[in-house]
Amino acid sequence: MTSQPQASREASRRPIAPQVVPGKADVCVSIPIVVVCSILTLIGVAGFIAGVMTETEPHAWEAFLCNFLFFFGVAQGGVVISAAFYLTQARWGGPGAYRLAESFYFFLPIAFVLFWVLFFGRAELWPWVTKPVAKNPTWLNTPFFFAREGFALLAMILLDFWFIRVSQRVDVRQWALSNDNIMMPPTAIRRLAPAVAITYAVVMSLIAFDLIMSLAPAWKSTLFGAFFFAGAFWSGIVAMALTAVILRGRLGAENLFTRDSVMHDLGKFTFAFSVFWAYTLFAQYIVIWYGDIPNETFFLVVRGALIGGPAGYTLYTPWMIPTWIVPVLVWVIPFTVLMGVKPKKTPAILGGVAFLGLIGMWLERYVLVVPSIEPRHIPFNWIEATITLGFLGIFGLCAIPGMKLTIAAAAAPQVLEAAER
Amino acid sequence: MAAEIELVGSFAEEEECIHAVEALRRSGVEFRVFSPIPSEPLIHAIGRGLSPVRMFVLLGGISGVLTGIAVTVGTSWEWNLIVGGKPVVSWPPFIIIMFELMILFGGLSAALSFFFFARLPQLEPIPGYSERFGADRFGIAVECDEADSARIEAMMREAGAEKIAHEDPRPESAEH
Repeated sequence: MTSQPQASREASRRPIAPQVVPGKADVCVSIPIVVVCSILTLIGVAGFIAGVMTETEPHAWEAFLCNFLFFFGVAQGGVVISAAFYLTQARWGGPGAYRLAESFYFFLPIAFVLFWVLFFGRAELWPWVTKPVAKNPTWLNTPFFFAREGFALLAMILLDFWFIRVSQRVDVRQWALSNDNIMMPPTAIRRLAPAVAITYAVVMSLIAFDLIMSLAPAWKSTLFGAFFFAGAFWSGIVAMALTAVILRGRLGAENLFTRDSVMHDLGKFTFAFSVFWAYTLFAQYIVIWYGDIPNETFFLVVRGALIGGPAGYTLYTPWMIPTWIVPVLVWVIPFTVLMGVKPKKTPAILGGVAFLGLIGMWLERYVLVVPSIEPRHIPFNWIEATITLGFLGIFGLCAIPGMKLTIAAAAAPQVLEAAER
Repeated sequence: MAAEIELVGSFAEEEECIHAVEALRRSGVEFRVFSPIPSEPLIHAIGRGLSPVRMFVLLGGISGVLTGIAVTVGTSWEWNLIVGGKPVVSWPPFIIIMFELMILFGGLSAALSFFFFARLPQLEPIPGYSERFGADRFGIAVECDEADSARIEAMMREAGAEKIAHEDPRPESAEH
């Protein structure tokens, strides 16, 4: 103690940490949002049913799969960001930052239900359902596939809910509030956070290998799982940044997100993990490019992503344009725009980058899924559009409980005081 | 004009030192500050702008990228062979070399310019330095005339100086 006279003096000057912790408070959710989300959901359901009934091509199923992957990734990524905060003892935003990361958790059980819809479209999506792959029929067959995916998702989501329950406990919130000491987080959350992070890596890798990679069973990339979950993590971060920018204006004069430092932190997050996404992308790309083995390169050739192939020219495919827009939206724009401090602290710029980033991540899922099934043309039409809107509606409705907690925590005076330091 | 006397005030608290620095700056007195810890508020109070090191890091990084391009593209043109069915100048692997040389050059110029601007290595102690300023006290050294010394001493005392020592300024520092 005597070696730190400064710290102890300052601590004694401060008022004793408040015992009332911001948490569950009644926040009114505006009716128009609920109505709009419900309408979007209905449009999506109608579009999906119409798509399945009328179309001969598997449009509706493709759109369903890539929207499932995207929105599940955002919600699940958010929970893992919260776990990462506990692992790194990030108390910069008080409980507000944790609530913000966990905003979308309620979508997770819905995602588990939605996953089983894919069971009915299995023959349209995965080629091995009708034509078993000779090499590994024990791994790629319908019963084992849905059993292991279902089990993995269930385990992940149950663990998430356990984690979030503990994360919202009074003692854990109290820990997040008091950032003037070097106390470790409470034991329960300290054990759960790494468990969530490790399970996330395993389950998301499995989903990437099974749900996306087996659309083209000949293609293999060991890093693909990591690439997929790095992208999902980043989509969680940009969803947080966009939510923070929207709430900043809506919550009235004084809230956590009007703080420059909090915006700055979110901007730094967006910047850093966009670079990580680009790193995992390039790490896969360079190996495939260098090896130039046909059963690896075809995955890139179909998407028009392989530059300087044999004889130095690139084959044209219609998929080229969306494929090359993805790294621009997910890496080039965040990297160049958010390099300085000012843009990170400017809500309009941060929000714009985050919004483009979400579109980029959605497009990334689309480019990963669809060309494996329809390599020759981009099948985007009203079916894809309505299903995407439908997912947006369900996601919006599911975000309401988490958003209430976020709003309550972000506007609480104790959180504002804690974020001051 | 040569300084006649050197006042060295020592402070137990960061805040007191900052107050003294602010008071001295307001009255336009030149001074040196010693701090046992890297203190951001103190740097802020002294009024130093952003470090020039960052500009050198940028220049180092840019020169690294250019060196990377020169090394990869230059040697490929010099030895114009098609290997593995790839074009002679094929960017994907070159990006790695460019990236790594950018980091190398940027890092080296950061380290070198840091030493340069921090005036390291400092082999002799700076006038006014005492060992406690590396342990548990903040210090401010002011070189001034006899006539001003009382005023400046009062300023430091008011800000909370524990102790103010009078020292002879050393000949080489008298030019300040």
